[in-house]
Amino acid sequence: MDKFIWESTVFAIVAFLVLLWLLNKYAFGPLFAVMEKRRQLIQEQMSTAETSRKAAEASLDEQKVALEQARKEAYAIIDQARSTSTKQADEIVQSAKNEAARLKDDALKDIESEKNKAIAALRTEVGGISVKIASKIIEKQVDEKSQEQLVDQYLKEVGSK
Amino acid sequence: MHEFPVWDVGGFRIDFSTWGTIIVTMIITFALARLAVRNLSVENPSKMQNFMEWIIEFVHNTVASTMPLEKVKRYLSLGLTLILFIFISNLLGLPFGVVFEYSEPNAFLGITNELLEKYHGHVHIAFWKSPTADLSVTAGLAIVVIFLVHYLGLKENRKHYLKHYFEPFPIFFPLNLIKEISKPLTLALRLYANIFAGEVLIATILMLGLWGLPFLAAWQAFSIFVGGIQAFLFTILTMVYISQATIHHHDEEEAH
Repeated sequence: MDKFIWESTVFAIVAFLVLLWLLNKYAFGPLFAVMEKRRQLIQEQMSTAETSRKAAEASLDEQKVALEQARKEAYAIIDQARSTSTKQADEIVQSAKNEAARLKDDALKDIESEKNKAIAALRTEVGGISVKIASKIIEKQVDEKSQEQLVDQYLKEVGSK
Repeated sequence: MHEFPVWDVGGFRIDFSTWGTIIVTMIITFALARLAVRNLSVENPSKMQNFMEWIIEFVHNTVASTMPLEKVKRYLSLGLTLILFIFISNLLGLPFGVVFEYSEPNAFLGITNELLEKYHGHVHIAFWKSPTADLSVTAGLAIVVIFLVHYLGLKENRKHYLKHYFEPFPIFFPLNLIKEISKPLTLALRLYANIFAGEVLIATILMLGLWGLPFLAAWQAFSIFVGGIQAFLFTILTMVYISQATIHHHDEEEAH
């Protein structure tokens, strides 16, 4: 207590240096190496994460562009379809109109020819009937000569009508 | 009070209590460190490895608070060894003591007739203590540190290291010299006095017998705290001295 033992001092110095060397070689050295390795690992993982984040961003942009492209294409297709359908509708309406006009014309022609036929038939019929009527009246009142004159006159009148 | 067993081998004195406890401290420190690095793993560290990495982190931060970050790595091992060795040394004397009573002269234990007379025929020899409760040991640690400080100062920062003795004026040389001499003295005495006082108080409380138990518990708990503080102080002061000797601060000089 009251005396300073320098031998202890020397021993303490030697002991401390030996301990420092031992710890450095067998304990701290390996531990520092492991900590350094972990630091590198974390750095690596961080840089990997950064790259994958960038890649994800790039692919997202790409997808956005692709989506925009697809949307534009879809609009174009819809527009095309719309114009095509309008054209087709016009065509259908046009052809229907043409058909209708054709049918009407046919019908008119039919009507005309039927009318002509009816007129011709009627003319023949009326001629016959009037002859019959006249002959019945004249049989009783006039001779054959005046009868013929009368018939002709009547016929002319009918024909002029 | 107790005497310590000192074997005189032809003028070379071996203090068994000091040598023994230093060796025990070394074994504990080394065993602890080896246990921590038993199964080293980068991704899945064991609990002991985590604990040791926490200590390393703590010392790293401590050292980094005194010097630029890129210089820390060189002194990390020194700081770690200092803090572990001193802390374990400080705690070593706390849990128990080994004291034998001798009434015969014993050359091997350094018990002389004069010593026996001084204690009236019965001398108590203590074999167990904190090595840091011995001024010879703390002086050894301080010598290592101060040697390192001046060596590094001369080697890495020679011009400014030598110049700082004559600053701010050459007349200040004696003051600066005293400052440099007081560094190892305070380093050694502070540690020694704190731990030695703790042990003295423990010995005193033990005289109280059973009534001293609560005091003993309280003081031992406080001694653990003091041991930690002193280990930390010794380490950080070492780093501050190294930093002062080796690093030249431009802005600091302009500020003076």
